[in-house]
Amino acid sequence: MGGFLLRKAGAALIVVFISSVVVFAGVRALPGDPAIALGGENRDPAVVQAIRHTYGLDQPLPVQYVKWVGRALRGDLGLDARQLPVAHTIVTRIPITLELAFLSVLIGSLIGLLAGVIAAVRRGKISDHAATTSALVGLSLPHFWLGLMMIILFAVDLHWLPASGYVSFREHPLANLEHMLMPAVVLGTGLSAVLMRQTRSAMLTSLSADYVRTARAKGLAERSVVGKHALRNSLITVTTVIGLQLGALISGAVITEQIFVIPGFGRLTLEAINQRDYTLLQGVVLVAATGYVVVNLLVDVVYSLLNPRIRVSGATQ
Amino acid sequence: MKVSLGRFATFSLVVLCAAAAGAAVAAAHTSRSAADIRNGGTLTIGLAEEPDALDPTLARTFVGRIVFLSMCEKLYDLDSHLNIVPQLATALPQVSKDKLTYTIKLRKGVKFNDGTAFNAAAVKQTLERDLTLKGSVRASEISPIKTVDAPNTSTVVLHLSSPYSPLTAQLADRAGMILSPKALNAGGTFAQSPVCVGPFMFKDRVAGDHITVVKSPYYYDKAKVHLASIVYRIMTDPSSRTQALRAGDIQVEDRIQSTDVPTLQKNNGVTVPKAVTIGYQGLTINIGNKNGLLKPYSNVGSDIAKSQFIRSAFDAALDRTTINKVVFGGLNQPDCYPIAPVSPWYKPTTKGLACDLHANVDLAKKLVKASGISSPSVNLMLGGTDPVNARLGQVIQSMEAAVGIKVSVTPTEFTTALNRADAGNFDAFAVGWSGRVDPDGNIYGFVATKGTLNDSGYADSKLDYILNGARKSISTKSRDTLYRAAMQIIHRQRPLIYLYHPVNYYGVSKKVAGVQIYGDGLIRAAFAGYTK
Repeated sequence: MGGFLLRKAGAALIVVFISSVVVFAGVRALPGDPAIALGGENRDPAVVQAIRHTYGLDQPLPVQYVKWVGRALRGDLGLDARQLPVAHTIVTRIPITLELAFLSVLIGSLIGLLAGVIAAVRRGKISDHAATTSALVGLSLPHFWLGLMMIILFAVDLHWLPASGYVSFREHPLANLEHMLMPAVVLGTGLSAVLMRQTRSAMLTSLSADYVRTARAKGLAERSVVGKHALRNSLITVTTVIGLQLGALISGAVITEQIFVIPGFGRLTLEAINQRDYTLLQGVVLVAATGYVVVNLLVDVVYSLLNPRIRVSGATQ
Repeated sequence: MKVSLGRFATFSLVVLCAAAAGAAVAAAHTSRSAADIRNGGTLTIGLAEEPDALDPTLARTFVGRIVFLSMCEKLYDLDSHLNIVPQLATALPQVSKDKLTYTIKLRKGVKFNDGTAFNAAAVKQTLERDLTLKGSVRASEISPIKTVDAPNTSTVVLHLSSPYSPLTAQLADRAGMILSPKALNAGGTFAQSPVCVGPFMFKDRVAGDHITVVKSPYYYDKAKVHLASIVYRIMTDPSSRTQALRAGDIQVEDRIQSTDVPTLQKNNGVTVPKAVTIGYQGLTINIGNKNGLLKPYSNVGSDIAKSQFIRSAFDAALDRTTINKVVFGGLNQPDCYPIAPVSPWYKPTTKGLACDLHANVDLAKKLVKASGISSPSVNLMLGGTDPVNARLGQVIQSMEAAVGIKVSVTPTEFTTALNRADAGNFDAFAVGWSGRVDPDGNIYGFVATKGTLNDSGYADSKLDYILNGARKSISTKSRDTLYRAAMQIIHRQRPLIYLYHPVNYYGVSKKVAGVQIYGDGLIRAAFAGYTK
């Protein structure tokens, strides 16, 4: 297991390094001079020059890269255009998006798994068709539309929930949930649709497998056959999908956070791009890339725990 | 702020064409008296963008000025008619005969929001910081100030290297915001914990989410302050802002998008004040920007650059009223000048000048013919890739085609467009300016040879002489005359063709009174409060 983890971690580090180069180059490939974008109303040449100097844009690219990576390794991602430390901003934003992602996964998994299992067990029946159709609708609904519709219904018309904003869980747990419920449902809807389809498909494969037939032949109750045997094996596929969907959730969070005015990581990314804030943009993209790598690493680990053959096969390669 | 049509377009159809008189536009939401307002409560304002650094020396954004209004008072302020009035000063500056010395008397007994005394030494330190701090955005605004003296605690004397009449207007904006020496000397980043004189004091800022200010116990006129706190929430999505206002999450909405205006106007709980702004949108024509901004200018040789007739024809072919109607749903205020009708400078500086808001196709055709260029062509760069910009490009294209000028349109991402404009890679550029109170701020930078925003590459010694004269002149009457003369030259040579002034809409809950919006487009809420 140790060797397996070491190999995976080594590969992850290489990916992070490559990501940092891509992030650095990608940000500089954006059209337009960021110093002019940040130069403000008057674009005073002296101010623009000072911005170039502050951001190190007047230095050769390799020097800029080495300095940036050097500081990033020490946890210093610099000051953004608001004169606020980027690392601190990111650190305060990530938990908000993670909370949103967690709630979305929770909502999405509950709905998706349940609907997927029911659809598989009742294959070809009305409940199967209903679940499949709902999944199709869930996949088709754009986040921004669903979000706005929910705001109009639940916040503007019914006044049940706040239209936007964020209150931290520590500050006021109930207000936090009130603010996060609609965005989590919006994000979770798409996930539940994907999970439903994947669960249904994996369950159908499992339910027709020999070991399930054997379990039934041994006289196990159907609930036990479905829950302990078929579903457990199907969870390998489902776990992978959740891992992969986390990326999509964070992407989706950009729109959802914008609509619900949640100060999360997704909205931060959008702001950094819109404002051409190089320091901030490099920081958020680097952290996002690292986050993806770490999530994939964790999925590999969970995978190997769920199916020991994976790490054994990995060891022999 | 040089703003792309795209930026205005984002809030594009936010604007209204009916030109209100200055007094009507100003103080758009001051219907109730102070007696109707109760003390306490938090006012939440949904801002359309995020302010940058909360340091008046470094601040560059429009919305930053909205936040500063509640916590950083200035030496001078504007009244509802956009006249300059004293704020931390007790009177307008006394100017010496040679126009090189400004003596400013200060309020006494005023404290910063850290409890320390506001005095002449603090003014001196702030102005010197504005002039010398690396990256100071204020340095160029007050660059004629050579030295600052503080002969006593309530008098500041500014010594100028050359006469500069827009100085008082500059001191009515961020350059006039005085910072606490204690906070400046503390060594930290001022923007992270700004301290000034103001009805409210900075409490906290969560980047990308909100800025909170709370009522100051040190403010010299705190009886006028009703609210306990103001929260400025960053809400860049216009639909979300409007829904939040309708749901009661916020009480004031910054710049409503046009599609939401009718909905909010029908809402019984909301008023929708509007403001014709002091900014403008226009077309910058590249005449001499061959080598880049501020490099020696020489005619670029394009059809529109080399022939004054083509520029005049191009202007005559434009039907500003139709542009406003077709592109902006009739919501802007079409005009031909860089100074807006809400400005006290408008009437005296445009008196006697012609402004035809409709196209004159016959004249345009004659001018094209007189140019001697058989089939003139112009590339129009749009400062944005959004649908409104595209529509503007198409409308101009068809209007010019009617008089024989072939226009090709290049929608360009805003920052890239600025780069190209500075480099001189364009024929005509659709771009705007958020406007300044003093006419100098709307004219000099764009058309004076040494203007730092002169993307036209326009160099005219006579115009320079007039504009420099207007900077040196203290008399309002003589400045009126000089700017009128300057506008005659601009109209004749057309380095810029002005199209319209934007009109902004705002949403204010009827539970709130005392929110004021002037022609500068800033939301003034420091003395607002909840109604009884």
